[in-house]
Amino acid sequence: MMEETREVQGTWDLSTLKFRIEGVGLRRMLDGMKEGKLIGTKCHKCGTVYLPGPFNCRKCHIAINEPAEVSDHGEIMTFTIGYADVRGNPLEEPRVAPVVKLDGCDSWIMGVLQGVKPEDVHVGMRVKVQWAENLTGSLQDMAYYVPE
Amino acid sequence: MDNKVAIVGFRMAAAPDIEITRERLAFNLTRGLFDDLGIERDDVGTTIICSNDFLDGRTISNVFLDPHVGAYMKDESKVEMDGLNALAYAAMRILSGQYETALVASLGLTGSQASPYLHIEYTMDASYDRPMKLLNELAAAALQAKSYLAEHGYSEGLLDEVAAKDLANAAGNPNQARRMPGITAEQVAASAMYYEPLRELHCYPPTDGGCMMLLASEKKAGELCDKPVWILGMGRSTDNYYLGDRDLATSLSASQAAAKACEAAGIKDPAGEIDFAEISSLFAHQEPLFAEAMGLMESGKAPDAYRAGDTAINGRLPINPSGGPLGGHPISSTGLIRAAETVLQLRGEAGENQVTKADVALVHGQDGLCAQQSVVFVLGT
Repeated sequence: MMEETREVQGTWDLSTLKFRIEGVGLRRMLDGMKEGKLIGTKCHKCGTVYLPGPFNCRKCHIAINEPAEVSDHGEIMTFTIGYADVRGNPLEEPRVAPVVKLDGCDSWIMGVLQGVKPEDVHVGMRVKVQWAENLTGSLQDMAYYVPE
Repeated sequence: MDNKVAIVGFRMAAAPDIEITRERLAFNLTRGLFDDLGIERDDVGTTIICSNDFLDGRTISNVFLDPHVGAYMKDESKVEMDGLNALAYAAMRILSGQYETALVASLGLTGSQASPYLHIEYTMDASYDRPMKLLNELAAAALQAKSYLAEHGYSEGLLDEVAAKDLANAAGNPNQARRMPGITAEQVAASAMYYEPLRELHCYPPTDGGCMMLLASEKKAGELCDKPVWILGMGRSTDNYYLGDRDLATSLSASQAAAKACEAAGIKDPAGEIDFAEISSLFAHQEPLFAEAMGLMESGKAPDAYRAGDTAINGRLPINPSGGPLGGHPISSTGLIRAAETVLQLRGEAGENQVTKADVALVHGQDGLCAQQSVVFVLGT
């Protein structure tokens, strides 16, 4: 290190930060999942269906709040196979993470795919949600995707 | 300025805790503004989002706000300073000739979700100020206050008078977050001491809030509203970060920014030609300090001016008839809220806080430790 360059130790303490998130669309989705259903929100103007549902339509810039059931079957739009976590630590097994367009939904949603060899996954592949054994109304209810 | 840019509408909100998410605040205010003006998001040419990534708890925070301000799949840019900087950016985009309308969308939730002092703490120089741990936003403001009072031989009672005037104005303004009807200088003087000589009621309150404003070219302004308010001049100036290189008894950034804005507006004697001013005084001493620096008040005569009621709503040159930032300081929005309050006055819509003569006004915004940066607008009807 050059003479004129010094290092000082420092941390960024953000402990006082609270973060409020929009709850309506997520609550609707989680409540539906208790019954094995996927409930999104539909724009009453343009018809776009979002899951999880936002409180406003991105395209129309209006408030929306119409429930819309979405199928638990869909199509892989894109995917990646992960070999390490975000910190670079290797995973025990390669993890297939597809982004799925569920039937009846316009937005895509990411998850984990099981029951298929990584080399056999392809864009356009049909998949369905594998529900957890006990549905509790949490994101884990939608356990993973399996081939249709 | 040769080309004319108008402020045609705005929506604002402020509260100690606004009780909704930043996304919903952004949506409610922009949707409300569009409804006021009878427009949709397609009628907006360009959008400038003004927010603070540090306080939002995520970087490039505008990416999350785009859909909520109607900027999804549209021309949008970001300012991470006071809202008056965003106003200048938006005005320049219209002056470029490329856009007929520009939306400025600013918000800061430092009442309920993050400490307002944090981001200043992390602007501190890492070689000395951070390891020494002596300086923070309040301590720096106190150094500036002491320096200013000592320079002119003013007593600390001036701070109580300034704060009492502002807080009384804020009490009559439904857009303010801190409203204390009947507040007196004695009550201000009895509030908790923070950093000598600054007490609780000399300092801005932690505030949630936002302000959305639509600008339009001269051609478009007439179509959008009956009472456009024109930008007559604007100026900006940035001082050194290091307090040891600055004269804290005055504000070079404020005086230079005001001189530029007044020159552009053709104003030679601010005290004589400006009808009223909205100043981003985050602390009581900053109001007379900036007023003196910007030529709105005779240097060395601040106590006389306040005692004579010159700065009151019905005074010779009302300052912060809205109550100013002592009534609310949603970081990122404060300067833009000053502009919005000025528009209300210029349109004669300020209710019980309406000043008598409102044709030309000065608006001041600031950023950084002890107003390292100042932005000044001159607005008129």
